Amino acid sequence: MATLAAGPDTAAEGIVARNLTRTFHTAVRRPGFAGALRSLVDPLRVEKTAVRDVSFSVERGRLLALLGPNGAGKSTTIKMLTGILTPTSGEARVAGVVPYRERERNARNIGAVFGQRTQLWWDLPARESFAVLRDVYGVPQAEHRARLAEFDSLLELSEFWDTRVRHLSLGQRVRCDLAAALLHDPPVVFLDEPTIGMDVVVKEQVRGFLRHQVERRGRTVLLTTHDMTEVARLAERVVLINHGRIVLDGSLEEIRGRFGGTWQVHATLDPAELEGAPPPGIRVVRREGPRVVFGPDGSGGPGGSGGAAPPTVHRALRAIVERYRVTDLALEENDLEDVMRAAYLRREERPVRDAAEDGAVADGAAADGAAGDGAAPAAGRSA
Amino acid sequence: MSLAVDPTAAGRLRRWARAWCVAWRITRLNFRAQLEYRAEFLMSVGMGVAWQSSVIVFATVLLQRFPGMGGWSGADVLLIVGMRMLAHALYVLLFGRVHSLSFLVQEGRLDACLLRPMPVYRQIQLSVFPTHGLGDLAVGATMFAFAVQQAAEPWTAGRAVFLAAGVAGGMLVEAAVFTAVSCAALRFPSAFYWSTWVDELMATFGSYPLSILPKAVSGVFTFVLPLAFVAYLPAGVLTGHGAALGVPFWLAAASPAVGLALFVAARLLWNRSLRHYTGVNG
Repeated sequence: MATLAAGPDTAAEGIVARNLTRTFHTAVRRPGFAGALRSLVDPLRVEKTAVRDVSFSVERGRLLALLGPNGAGKSTTIKMLTGILTPTSGEARVAGVVPYRERERNARNIGAVFGQRTQLWWDLPARESFAVLRDVYGVPQAEHRARLAEFDSLLELSEFWDTRVRHLSLGQRVRCDLAAALLHDPPVVFLDEPTIGMDVVVKEQVRGFLRHQVERRGRTVLLTTHDMTEVARLAERVVLINHGRIVLDGSLEEIRGRFGGTWQVHATLDPAELEGAPPPGIRVVRREGPRVVFGPDGSGGPGGSGGAAPPTVHRALRAIVERYRVTDLALEENDLEDVMRAAYLRREERPVRDAAEDGAVADGAAADGAAGDGAAPAAGRSA
Repeated sequence: MSLAVDPTAAGRLRRWARAWCVAWRITRLNFRAQLEYRAEFLMSVGMGVAWQSSVIVFATVLLQRFPGMGGWSGADVLLIVGMRMLAHALYVLLFGRVHSLSFLVQEGRLDACLLRPMPVYRQIQLSVFPTHGLGDLAVGATMFAFAVQQAAEPWTAGRAVFLAAGVAGGMLVEAAVFTAVSCAALRFPSAFYWSTWVDELMATFGSYPLSILPKAVSGVFTFVLPLAFVAYLPAGVLTGHGAALGVPFWLAAASPAVGLALFVAARLLWNRSLRHYTGVNG
């Protein structure tokens, strides 16, 4: 197992994950009635690796979007980083603490919101839940009041915080969950699809709240979402995970460069310029008199076969303006959703060997569901 | 931003006191939440009363038909019934939420417990107020008081202390059994049915002298499912049946300590099982 040395470099980091791997063991039922009966006496054990060798870090005061299609391993990764699950191998540190070894200490350092599940007391008004959490975390009364006032100004909680949680709408409930997760002022926050099912107005309010927490409060945020507008508005850096592996770790610009090169620049050129060759990495898609449509060179982009990556739309624009005398200009660019779709689909075409390994049948292997046995690191989670 | 933890004894004491204050506060809030659904609250209490009353009715019918059971007089049997019912009511009020752990796991609510700086087992107990336990307690305490009053021997201080320890031990035995069964609930949803079956067994056989059962069965109820330690053995010590309990007298007299030991063992097993918790939906 990779060992993460404790020291100023890791302690100063918000989140560090090194070679995190999580394997589950399940029994697969054989097809048909006879197969089901046979599985009863001779179960077919399957080892499923939900997350494999995932390594990344998030500096303090930064927001990272962990993206990937359904079942990619995002939630499993978050569960290991929050201390809910113990990794089969690898190691993690969150604000200097190994989350699955020191569960309670880690819980004081983190806030977490799982959009589809509430962590509030279902039968209590949200404000009562906040007060209970204040006591649980030992937050001084004045500090609690001030923080609640701040959250209220950002999320308009006072309109509904005296309503019992079971009677809140989804948007209201998640806003309360967000406040509850941050009331103890944690340096690190995990958000698993926090805006799922929200209307656009509330989504924007929540995004503003998150921006405030990162930029003004210096919190480290790990966000998973399928909402690409959210990613575009909040994330500087993105980690793309698929089939349990990290397939890309970079800025949105880099992702656009690799998977979203299907931009087009519609330019009206000075007639004297029409014969000049386009800048490198850019080709002329169409030409109607002085109106020319430029696009990325065919060697890159989603459908490309490799070679140098085409320039981003912004670089292409600059190159075109520098190369030609332009009298009119319009941009047409794939939105981020198209880019991510291209990224997900591209990465579906992974080596067959990996797929075989992930679903490796281990007949007669360890007991059903005993994920973590044997290879799991000794964990000292307090119960 | 993180809170410093005071490692001194005074700091530990302060944290312990604060933890109990928090637990008490959550319990009060949960109780208040239950009161807001008036009809449901009354139905839950009524259900507890009805459930426990049916045990009393059955015991009364048996005692009217058979004045003694296996050498135990009616008053002695009543002491078993009273001790078991009170121990059960206390178990329901203080530890009973482990019975529904399967649902917390399946709904993903256990994950939320793992995200708070509070022992998970305690959070499970504080997840809801057990309203029906109030009905159990009302009937159990009444039955217990009646049985104590009917006892043939006078209640000296020593006997009274052993009686109280016996009830506490009985509560801990029951808590240990269901805590151990709930370990399976961390992995298998069907553990709820096992838990319900064990509850049925304890209610059916726990209120009568096990000496009326075949030796093998009473052995199972002593050493496999230890319901003998809930009320039968301590009541046997108090009513002078120490020589015919099917176990050495010292073991019967140690019933409260056995309860404590079983509970500690069950909690250690539970902590170990939690470390292998795999959650729901990956």
